Amino acid sequence: MTDAIALLWPPFLVALCLIGIHTYFGIQVLARNVIFVDLALAQIAALGATMAFMLGHPTQGSATYIYSLAFTLLAAFLLAFTRNWSRRISQEALIGVIYVVAAAAAILLIDRAPQGAEHLKQILTGNILITGMAEVAAIAPIYLVIGALHWVLRDRLAPSGEGSWLWEFVFYATFGFVVTSSVALAGVLLVFSFLIMPAAIGVLFADNLQRQLAIGWAVGTLASAVGLAVSYGGDLPTGAAMVCTFGATLALAGLIYVFWPGRSGASLRRVALVARWCVALILLASALLLVVAPRADHPVFDWIEYLFPPVRQAYFTKGEAATYQEAAAFAERYRREADRLNELETRSRAEDQPLDDLQVRRISSFIKSYTEMRKGEEFVQREVRSRARERIRWLAGGAMLLIAFATAPGLVIQSLKAIKRSH
Amino acid sequence: MSMFLVVLASCWMALASPSLAEERIRIVTTTTDLRSLAEAVGGERVEVTSLVPPNVDAEEYQAKPQDVVRLKDARVVVRVGLDFDLWFDRLLNRATLTQLNVGALRRGGTGHVDASLAIAVLDQQGASVGPGDGHAHASGNPHYWLDPKNAEIVTGNILETLVQIDPTNGPYYETNRLAFLERLEAKLRDWDTQLAPVRGKPMIAYHNTWAYLARRFRLDFVGFIEPKPGVPPSPAHLATIIKTMRDRGVRLVVRQPHEPERNAAFVAEKAGAAVVLLAGSVGALPAAREYLSLFDTNVAALSAQAR
Repeated sequence: MTDAIALLWPPFLVALCLIGIHTYFGIQVLARNVIFVDLALAQIAALGATMAFMLGHPTQGSATYIYSLAFTLLAAFLLAFTRNWSRRISQEALIGVIYVVAAAAAILLIDRAPQGAEHLKQILTGNILITGMAEVAAIAPIYLVIGALHWVLRDRLAPSGEGSWLWEFVFYATFGFVVTSSVALAGVLLVFSFLIMPAAIGVLFADNLQRQLAIGWAVGTLASAVGLAVSYGGDLPTGAAMVCTFGATLALAGLIYVFWPGRSGASLRRVALVARWCVALILLASALLLVVAPRADHPVFDWIEYLFPPVRQAYFTKGEAATYQEAAAFAERYRREADRLNELETRSRAEDQPLDDLQVRRISSFIKSYTEMRKGEEFVQREVRSRARERIRWLAGGAMLLIAFATAPGLVIQSLKAIKRSH
Repeated sequence: MSMFLVVLASCWMALASPSLAEERIRIVTTTTDLRSLAEAVGGERVEVTSLVPPNVDAEEYQAKPQDVVRLKDARVVVRVGLDFDLWFDRLLNRATLTQLNVGALRRGGTGHVDASLAIAVLDQQGASVGPGDGHAHASGNPHYWLDPKNAEIVTGNILETLVQIDPTNGPYYETNRLAFLERLEAKLRDWDTQLAPVRGKPMIAYHNTWAYLARRFRLDFVGFIEPKPGVPPSPAHLATIIKTMRDRGVRLVVRQPHEPERNAAFVAEKAGAAVVLLAGSVGALPAAREYLSLFDTNVAALSAQAR
């Protein structure tokens, strides 16, 4: 456990720094309605770094940094200037164009360089797991200064204020500065999550900036901690696990918002209605699929079986259940045998008496055979299940159809009324 | 019209009777390593081009329009096989328009060399057996050229096809190959002595790239930073790796130039180990110009750390 904390503590602090500044920028971005601006700015910074790299500057040198900063400022200038350039086209279109053109231009540039693709990937896919105290020390002061600057200029930088394009430029320039450094640490996906999701939750539940910030910070901190824990406990890639945790948090917040005290009963009923329709439609589709193609994949059926194994016993005959169990046992045995041989060969590499080519070939062909045999057993399992499902398709399909019918809002009552009327 | 016919006829002549035109045989390989080995066998009589630039992951290579042009007039193609360069089949299908004899270059054709033929394949248990660890290859670990001894088999495969295509120069190719193997044999003894200090010492690699090298020189790779290609390591996995490194006193972390620098440096720093840059193929490091110097470079880098 101490290992885990020692490993996860620095990334957690980095996440706190990122949430601190990004929640604020997220609220601003939501108000300006330029949701994907961080992607465009990050990509343009990557283009700048790529150009520096192509001109022969070292990857982490100051020249590279100046190049990406210059490119970001150029994009900030463009964005500020075009804020109200046309009432016909939203600024999101321009942001999208900046993003794709910067990405494509970087690919064209990097195509000429050895190790190019990997270099480009490293700029945009930072991994928060391998950040440390050095990174915290580097970003914390910068973010504090930018935060303070925005606090001082808060009236001028407000999205609703009639600020000149100069103030817009200051906003985008500082934002680009922040995004450039944070994307290199945490990657595009995670930075976007930090930016939008806590801010969205804050905006959902509060009206003034202070409260929105407080809610966003609290939720972001909690979600980061949970995400890191899930990533450790579930043996999952950290960035992706955190992004999904943030998504789940937002979904949860949405639910709470609906059931928030003081909400009208009508909206509650609407949510319930939608949920019932969803369940009914999924059940209907599964029932039809089971009847029409009993051998196809049945995700709903599979999930029910996975969650409640007794369900399988219920529709297998005794013989089928025995065959299924046996095949599963053999498949597991072959897997273990193949594992054992593989381990034997791997271990022998560094030993004083290594296996000769003939022995390696024999092990290889044994492993191949075990793999094939295991696939065979798995085929048996699938076949037994498919046949059982074919047998019960009318019964199970009909039952599911009935449940779907009962779940669908109003359907039962209306049908009953219709029957009454016809009599 | 008559001009066109003349051109067509001369094209046909060039393709049908290469022995008349005293031209060098054009060979196209997927990787730089195979290029180096094909040059060792073909010598002066061949002209070898490789498609994948050094330091680009050959598994994820995306063929470019120019590659079709590079395949033009090729009489032999050499590939890694073992599902390593699957994109090559698609490219060969594409090349039909510019290439009259492309049938001979496709899988099973007379000019198609699968260099992995007869190799004793390691890590046979790839992705096909459970989603566990190991390199994600159903047909085994494809990095077999990193065992210098396997060059014997690879050059043998190339020789066989060259002799069939150009029988008159058969003895020339055979002499070339034997001379190369002789040099390789001497080098092998050299490398073996140089690597004695690291033999059996535990080390970590970024990917499971070095199985064949490890087997030949009895190097002990006890873990990989990124066991599933393309999936960033989880914290639990990194914690295990760092713990293994501390427990077993791992002093070396091996990385290829195209693999992320930060991840390797992070792990190495946590466990007090050094990062060694090794070339996974010819040209990946400036000193690894051809097949033999590839191993010279790697052996030197490893033994330098052992001191």
